[in-house]
Parts: sequence; structure tokens; C-alpha cells
Amino acid sequence: MFFLTYLRRELRRRIRQSVVIALGLALGVGLVIAVTAASAGVRNAQASVLKGLYGVGTDVTVTKKPAPPKGRPGGGTRIQIGPGGGTVCNGSKCHTGAQKVDNLTSPGSGILPASVVAKIARLRDVAGAAGGLVLTDTQLTIPASIGSAGGGTLPQPKSFDVDGVDLGHPALGPLSAGTISAGRNLAAADARANVAVVDSSYAIANKIKTGSTITIAKTRFTVVGIVRQPQGGSAPDVYIPLVRAQALATGPAGKGHLRNEVTTVYVAARSAADIASVRSQISALLPSATVTTSSSLASQVTGSLASAGRLASDLGRWLSVLVLIAAFAVASLLMMAAVARRVREFGTLKALGWRSRRIVAQVMGESLAMGVIGAAAGVALGLGGAALITALAPKLTATLASPTAMRFFSAGPAGTSGSSPSATHSVAVPMIASASAGAIVVAALLAIAGGLIAGTLGSWRIGQLRPAAALARVE
Amino acid sequence: MYQLSSVTRLYQKGRRTVPAVRDLDLTIPDGEWLAVQGRTGHGKTTLLQLLGGLDRPTSGSVLLDGADLARLREAQVTRLRATSIGFIFQTFNLVPTLTAAENVEAALVPLGAGLAQRRRRVAAALDSVGLADRARHLPGELSGGQQQRVAIARALVKEPTVLLADEPTGNLDTDTRDEIIALLGRLWRELELTMVLVTHDSTLACQAQRVGVMHKGRLTLQPSRAAAQLEPG
Repeated sequence: MFFLTYLRRELRRRIRQSVVIALGLALGVGLVIAVTAASAGVRNAQASVLKGLYGVGTDVTVTKKPAPPKGRPGGGTRIQIGPGGGTVCNGSKCHTGAQKVDNLTSPGSGILPASVVAKIARLRDVAGAAGGLVLTDTQLTIPASIGSAGGGTLPQPKSFDVDGVDLGHPALGPLSAGTISAGRNLAAADARANVAVVDSSYAIANKIKTGSTITIAKTRFTVVGIVRQPQGGSAPDVYIPLVRAQALATGPAGKGHLRNEVTTVYVAARSAADIASVRSQISALLPSATVTTSSSLASQVTGSLASAGRLASDLGRWLSVLVLIAAFAVASLLMMAAVARRVREFGTLKALGWRSRRIVAQVMGESLAMGVIGAAAGVALGLGGAALITALAPKLTATLASPTAMRFFSAGPAGTSGSSPSATHSVAVPMIASASAGAIVVAALLAIAGGLIAGTLGSWRIGQLRPAAALARVE
Repeated sequence: MYQLSSVTRLYQKGRRTVPAVRDLDLTIPDGEWLAVQGRTGHGKTTLLQLLGGLDRPTSGSVLLDGADLARLREAQVTRLRATSIGFIFQTFNLVPTLTAAENVEAALVPLGAGLAQRRRRVAAALDSVGLADRARHLPGELSGGQQQRVAIARALVKEPTVLLADEPTGNLDTDTRDEIIALLGRLWRELELTMVLVTHDSTLACQAQRVGVMHKGRLTLQPSRAAAQLEPG
């Protein structure tokens, strides 16, 4: 076919220009694919973190902000270091001297009555609800010499996260996302037993195996299983039965227990479309509670994951749009310049009886071919870029702040000063940039569109071309 | 047959109106060879473009076998060029990326001829100009004379009734020029073409049946032999 012969020869003759146009388009397309892939990678990483925070199947979580301490700091565990040594007070009870502190508290969470779980479960569009306790076990050894001259400084407290799990609803809550890698999961029969399942990362770091014992709130628990949570999840370190957690945890005032109380309610909606409705019903039922869905939880995630998310969605998007516009502009200008150089050729073809639209079709065909080449090269470039991002990108971290229950006080000449350090929980999340088929198709179509735009602009000159004027240039 | 009546072509150069062809009346019977001579810028090429439907007169009519090229729609004029009018240019105007055969074939593309027919006619056209063995050569691989032969084959492959040539020997050396003149003469006779040649070349002009001299947009016709003795311009 003459059309194809002419097209092939023209592309070959202007190989350098064809390559520049195709590469320009390829660069734009490649960047779009790479940015889309990176963005998808960040989204996936974020979803992975959220899944870990939430548990599979949980659509809504209900929590409550902790009540602010009232008056003189009397609630929680107070540790005062003075010349007489260390004094630890739980509520109004104080002990001075060497001692071990081991408290299971809910420092970052407010307390909800366990009865709300049943109330929420009865709401419209709710498939299920389970209560849970999100706790922190804090252990500290206070030496006898603390406070005296040369007695040294207070050692750092050791703390780990403990979740009280409602064993009646295994499909809801943070444990539902995990996979048991050793031993067994907690069962309904364990409700009142001192047994625990330990997160695999925590188990490795602390050399804990199935059958090991760990101490929580001065109580020995037997580890019956090791659970591996989804990569990137902000998993608690230890899971124990909810009933045991409620019995062992210390209340906000540093006294009493959390029997018949929970810190979190995990709720499953009947369908994704019902989540908003469920959220508003819960908000109406519990006005002071914080009702969180996955979308609102995502905004609480900080760290490099959030930064990368913003970078990919903001800078990446604009960068790829700019590169695409630049590629389109360069392709169009080069195409128009090429047409301008071929005025005599097109004038001759018109003299031979070629209609303008046939010449336009020829030029459009050349542009389309360059667009297709650019699209193919761009897809390859984009996939290569995505692979490179996956290989070279540092692990992202997601950080969630959670306050501790401990408050440190120092007695000095100016009086007593205190501080409540807040703990942050950071998880490393690998970013796997993956381009979807849809993104690849859209990007390839963009390159072809770019080629056609360039061809249209180039062809516009042909339509304006008078054969006599074109041939006059020869003279 | 061409019939030109009161043909005027004005160009606008800035604020100045320049008459390239002025009030020209001309009849060219079928099968006639007319040579047009004259100084550069006196309207020779404009006349040729008006005859070929590449340009339209400002006023007057250009009839080709009864059809007024000045009033036909662009598509109709284009069709007429595709079927009936062959062009030869001083600079050959071959498409540099196409082979000799493909350049010739380009003239058949608008006619919608089938591939087999196109190839047969291309081979015959190249054979008629003595370039059957150069069919697969690119223009850059051919001499000036050979390129002009390809251009002639391209003009004649569609079997036109009219051949319009603008300085066909202008870019050739003497020997090649003589070859092209002989070739054009032979083809004119064999194909019974109506041929209009714009040329500065008196040797070529004296082969024509009539010679016209363009001067300031006006055409003066003279018998061939006598005209050939005149210095152009």
C-alpha cells in the first residue's frame, strides 16, 4: 500500500526527528506511568497500614478521647524523684524505695462502657460489632539509689502494646488481619485464661516463642501463638483475651479496673455503601465518641508514608502533566517545522492531483506512528521507572502518636516539674510501585493523542497551502 | 483545447498591486506544442500555473475542453490535474524518500488504480524514458538528467492530454538537455500531447510549433522558427 510505503520512508528519512518526537512523548507517558505506579504504591502501602490498624473486615472504629487530668496530678502512675529516693504513687497509694512498676493502662484512649457494643450492633446496616481494649503495659525498675548523690538517673521505662481481644467476634478487630505463624490463635475457651498471642516482630525482637511466658501487669501469661500481621501494619505487640485485659488494666485514675469497659469498638457495615450511614448513626448514639472510617484514619497517618503520598499525588501529578504538555508542545512544533520543510513536496503532490485531505492523512499517519512508537517506548520506560522506584525507594514509615500513661515529676529548687512523654508508633512499609493496566492504557492513549495533536497542527498548514504558492518557493 | 479570455492575474505585494498576467487572450489547440519565453518575473510561470489550475485568475476565464478552471471547485480542479494535466518542474520535485518507481506511482495514487495496474503502468512509463533499470533507485542516487526523466515519466504515467513544463532543461548540462529535448519531442509526437513549455532555452523553444514571449504580463505569439532566433527578453 502506497500510504504505508510513503509513511515508512518518511519516518526513516527523518529518523532523528521521529526519535526526538517519539522520545518526548515516551518521556511524558513514562513519567505518567511511573508517577501513577508510585502513587498506587503509596496508596497500597497506606491501605496496608490501615488494614493493620483496623483489622480485616472492620469498616468503622469507635473510640473516645481520654479525659484530661483534673486538678493536681493525681491520676495514673506518678513517679517522683527526690533526695529521699524514688516515690511511686498510684492514685493516693505511694511507695518509696526500690521497686518494680508494671502497669497495664489505656493512656491514649478514653473509656467506653462495654454496653455500647451491643447498642452499636443493633444499629441499622451494622453487620457486627466487637469491643476491644487498646492498652500499654509499662514496666520500670526503680533502684534504691535513685535521687541520692551519684545515684544515677531514672532508667527508661519499657513498654509494649497489649490488645484485649473479644474472642466472641474473631472476624473483627486487629487480630483478624493476622496469620498465625506458630502455635494457635486465641479461642473462645481462652476467655478467662492467662494466654497470649504475640506479634511476630515483637517475638523476634524479644526472643519469645510458643510456650514462653511474658509478664503483663505483674501477671504471667503463656504464649500460645505467634501472629504475623500484614506488612506495614501498626500491629500491637501482644494480644490477650478481653476479659483478662479488663481485669488487669488500671483505670484512668490509677485505680480500679476496666471491667465492663472497652476503649475501642470495631464495627463492620453490611456493605461499603453503608459505612457513611453507620458512621452517622454511631455519632448520633455516642456524641462524645470519635467515629473513624478508613478514609478519616488515613489522614492521621504521618511520617514518610504520608509525605510520599502527598509527593506522589501533588508534585508527581503536576510534574507529569507539565512533562506531557512539554512533550505535546515539542512534538507539535517539530511536526509543524517538518511540514514547513516539506511545503515544496506537498505542493508537488497537489500538482499531481493529491487532494489536501490525502496529504493530511499521510501526515496524520506519520504522527500517529510516532505516537504509537512513543506510547510503546513510554510504557516500557514507565514500567522500568516503576521497577526502579520499587528497587531504590527507601522503606516508608507510617507514624501514629499515642500518649503514655506515665508522668514524670522532678522536685527541684523551683518546685515540681512534670512531663507526660508521648510514644509514637512507627512502622516501616515497603513501597511497591505497580502500574495498573488501566493506567498503562490511558498513558498510551495520551501519547497517541499527543501524536495526533502534533499531526493536526502540522496538517493545518497543509490545508492553508496553495499549490502555486508552494511551488513558487522552488523558484 | 485551451481557451483563455481576458485573463488577468494580480498579486498584492504590500500595498502595491503587481499584474503578473494582463488581459491575456490565448487559444491552444489540442496537440499543439507552445513554448513560452520571456524574462524572469514577466509572468511565464504564472501563465503556466493558470493553465494547470494551480492558480486562479483575478479576472477572465481559462477553459480546458470547455471547463473553466477559474470557476471550478477546488476538488474538481484537483481531479482535473490528477487525470488530464502533467507537470514537469525545473528542479524535478521528486520526493526524496521514494524510489524512482514510487515517485512515478505517486501520480497514479489519486486515480485509485489497483496495485497491479499501477505497477504495470509505472514500469511502462519508466521504460518509455529509458529508466527501467533505475526503478528502485532513490532520486539522490540518480543524475540530474535521470531525475528529470523520472519526473517526465511521473507526468506522463497517467496518460494526460496536457503536459506543462516549467524550465525542464534549466538545471541540466548541454548533453543532458539535448537528451531531454529529444525525449520530450518524441513523447509529444507519440502521445499527441498538448504541450506548453516555459523556457529560456532557445534550442528547446525552436522545437515548438509556436513561441509566445511574455513581457510585463502580456503575451506576444510568433511563429516558432522566427521566434527561436530572438534573444529572450
